[in-house]
Amino acid sequence: MKKLNYIIAAFLVMVWMPSMGQTPKGSVLIKNATVITITQGTLEDTDILVENGIIKKIGKGLTANNVTTIDAKGKYVMPGIIDAHSHVALDAVNEATAPITSEVQMADVVDPYDIGLYRALAGGVTISHAMHGSANAIGGQNITLKHRYGTFNPEDLFMKEAPRTIKFALGENPTRVHGRGKNIQPRTRMGVEAVIRNGFNEALQYKKAWETYESALKQKGATPIPPKNDARLQTLVDILDGKVIIHCHSYRADEIYALINTCRDFGITNIVFSHVNEGFKVAPELAEYTMGASVFADWWAYKFEVYYSTAYNAAILTENGVITSINSDSGELIRHLYHEAGKTQRYGQLSDEQALALITINPAKQLGIADKVGSIEEGKQGDLVIFNDHPLSVYAIPQMTFVDGVKYFDLNEDQNDMRIRVSANEMVEPIFLKEHDHNCMHGVDFFFTNFGRNLFEHSH
Amino acid sequence: MNINTKIKLLGSFIVAVFFIAYSSVQAQSDPSGTKRVTSTYAIKNATITTSPGKTITGATILFKDGLIQAVGTNINLPAGTDVIDGDSLFIYPGFIDGASSAGVTRPSEPERPANFDSSNPSDELAGITPWRNVIDQVDMNNNAISDWRKAGFTVAHMIPDGGMISGKSAIVVFGSSSSTNILGQNTALSTRFRGSRGMYPGTPLGVMAKFRDVYKNTELSAKHQNIFASNVGLNRPEINKTYEAMYPVINKNIPVIFEVSNDLEIRRALRLQKELGFNLMLLGVTEVDKVISEIKAANATVLLALTLPEDKSKNKSEKLNEEAQGRTDRVKEAYETALKQAGMLEEAGIKFGFTTSGAKTGDLMKNIKIMIDNGLSEDAALAALTINNAQNLGIQKFAGTLEKGKLANMVITTAPLFTEDAQIKHVVADGYVFDYETKPKKAANGNKNGNGAAGVSGTWEYVSDTPAGSSGGMMTIDNSATGYEGTITYDDPAGNGKAQATMKNITVKDGKMSFTFDVSAGGMEISVSVNGDLTDDQFTGRMSLAEFGSFPLTATKKPNQSNL
Repeated sequence: MKKLNYIIAAFLVMVWMPSMGQTPKGSVLIKNATVITITQGTLEDTDILVENGIIKKIGKGLTANNVTTIDAKGKYVMPGIIDAHSHVALDAVNEATAPITSEVQMADVVDPYDIGLYRALAGGVTISHAMHGSANAIGGQNITLKHRYGTFNPEDLFMKEAPRTIKFALGENPTRVHGRGKNIQPRTRMGVEAVIRNGFNEALQYKKAWETYESALKQKGATPIPPKNDARLQTLVDILDGKVIIHCHSYRADEIYALINTCRDFGITNIVFSHVNEGFKVAPELAEYTMGASVFADWWAYKFEVYYSTAYNAAILTENGVITSINSDSGELIRHLYHEAGKTQRYGQLSDEQALALITINPAKQLGIADKVGSIEEGKQGDLVIFNDHPLSVYAIPQMTFVDGVKYFDLNEDQNDMRIRVSANEMVEPIFLKEHDHNCMHGVDFFFTNFGRNLFEHSH
Repeated sequence: MNINTKIKLLGSFIVAVFFIAYSSVQAQSDPSGTKRVTSTYAIKNATITTSPGKTITGATILFKDGLIQAVGTNINLPAGTDVIDGDSLFIYPGFIDGASSAGVTRPSEPERPANFDSSNPSDELAGITPWRNVIDQVDMNNNAISDWRKAGFTVAHMIPDGGMISGKSAIVVFGSSSSTNILGQNTALSTRFRGSRGMYPGTPLGVMAKFRDVYKNTELSAKHQNIFASNVGLNRPEINKTYEAMYPVINKNIPVIFEVSNDLEIRRALRLQKELGFNLMLLGVTEVDKVISEIKAANATVLLALTLPEDKSKNKSEKLNEEAQGRTDRVKEAYETALKQAGMLEEAGIKFGFTTSGAKTGDLMKNIKIMIDNGLSEDAALAALTINNAQNLGIQKFAGTLEKGKLANMVITTAPLFTEDAQIKHVVADGYVFDYETKPKKAANGNKNGNGAAGVSGTWEYVSDTPAGSSGGMMTIDNSATGYEGTITYDDPAGNGKAQATMKNITVKDGKMSFTFDVSAGGMEISVSVNGDLTDDQFTGRMSLAEFGSFPLTATKKPNQSNL
């Protein structure tokens, strides 16, 4: 047992010692693998050299001094899997108390100790999009996380180069929480649209008030009075200015199309629809006006608005030119997103590269990070997964997972207990092996009557 | 609670009227008999630790009117000094509590208005009440305060209870009940990551955002006020009591004291501080090992929790499989790390202080000794109870050490502090001397009355609930050569005031006490018998009045105060 502790300690020290001020960057040479680049085809018997966190070279017969070399003969390497909709590693999910809460930041409540991060790594996921829940028409600002598991500092997980994103939500969740739960707007789908439009209009007034103030300041001898500060409206201003990508929880085609129109009215193009079960009905519109759709492979019927669904959704969207990704929204599904992607070959006959793009380059595009991750290309970040078999095979098991060239998961060194923090107060902390509940509505139970809770047992 | 307060207020009103009525004619009299004979005291020939690491043996400390006059080995005592024999006693600076909730009650929530909007509640409903002053919430006569004084505390930083921004703290001394005892008011802004139930902000997400909002708009409000004051033709500033109460914070005149429950909450407070730039005190710090360098970089004040986890792995004797053993080992490791927190802070050079917030009086010495066994030096432990907190609270000019010119706050023990035998014999707070019963050492315990006997002597305050209402009085018990003797006062059934009777057959044995006394009412003698359970300074039992039945009676022993 001493030995086990020692190994754990050594592993953790290795991971976080270099993290003073900067996150660790590693170097590694993976040799003789089948490299699924996603964007540049599949390369047989190929080497990948990662130096200081960046993919330096892809080719044959590569050598490097003083770099850990891994012989991956007979194995497959793909880019680190990216989950565009997740709630892993968050202490709180929903500030479900107001229809617009664009001022709240998921970056404030990241929990670096969540074992879910390690489980995600074990499923080859290197990046997750930690989102606010779907209780509000306009929720909080999300945070894109790189799974640098082992640090005490939440900020070490932040993918600092990722653009800002925000959660929106349509349909039953915001109308139930606010309309039915608290008798305020929005009570209907129309109300949701009104809340969003009013928000943007107020944001325009807010922006103008500050612009007037700033320009008055420049005049000599002027003594303008500053307007009030409102981070809620300022975030909406930033959306209008194209600095923030909207990720909108949605199911029905009518309201998806309605929000597309709202965005067009306000000149917003940075929008991704999430879940979007009826997306197949508005695929051309999604292709033309949005940054795409992030869907489930085959998950539906957990509430009324999610009955009209099909497992062909991802394939139809893809064939219509929509940037499409498959997300988890769950600490369980996040462990095998490659299986979820594989389902599109049964339902829709997508090619290997199309299917794998759903969990790599496409979510990277939706998060605005496709120039840095999402494929195996020279110059991109060294986020890689080594599989024993082709990742779309039902026999595929991730062997090693790297983030920035640092190995965070190795099946052969996987310990019984990978927790970073252990409570001194509990002999056995609750460990949930199954997580079937979707997390979108995490923390909003309080607002429902028993009737509501039973009716909506599923909660995303 | 409200009714009680009203009764208390009424009571003090009557007392006040009484004094006003009599003071003009009998200005020199002392009808209550509590006025002290002198306010000049000296403790002679003691071992005095004036500050951590500085100890004088065979020394005398002289204090008058609450102020230390001299400390040393060669001191002339003025005539009329009440001299306390300090042979074999050890004197330390009185403890200072970095943050206390003793005697503080949470103000009741206001009614929700008919048009209540949970997405936009008033500041008060949302728990944002920076204008509140803890002095309005604290009852200085609360038992919790006398309990902590008995444990050695003489000064405390009182933290208001409430929501995310509950109000301003105050520094009080645990002195005479005739004084307000306030050393400083509005000393820090009390905050915590506590959302409001069913309204905005409801979670840490909302609390973080709302804190930024309040802070930034306070800055803008102050700016507006300044511009308005020095210009004409401008819109008037909207006076907002939340922002007004926040001005001392944005001007950095007072710190923000954030209650934190773990390292992630410490990081959240540090994150806000980094963005907004206020001075930060962290209250109730635990799990500090993971965030020590960040705390140091932020120059935040650390108030370490006195609470420690229990060793959950201790009683696992059965053979565990490898997986269970591994888990147990990690719990053990987490427990051991928790014990080392104080030592780690000392090693990092952080001048932390202790806070009693969330702790019980029994935790104090027990847990500090555990911390000392796990790497904390005794000097640092004493500093964390005294000089460090004086500095943390900005009162080092007049508190924290035993020097001429500082407040006469001290703890007097029977053996060196932090040793097993140390018991507190006196606490001096604001120059008032409080005496406590000390138990003889276990080995020398030949008390014929057995368990629980040592602490019975003294004055007890009792309350009994009868169908006719609550009544009460005092019991005074002495341990004489022939056994226990005592008197009890009770509400005179014949009419007004108190009557007194002799307690008979006082028996203290095996944690139980019983006695009888006779009450004469309407020419009839009623025999009353009382018996119940005794623990340290609490007695819980029943009072039987012959054929009238029996009623619950509880009594609390009062700390012995020499001269109030």
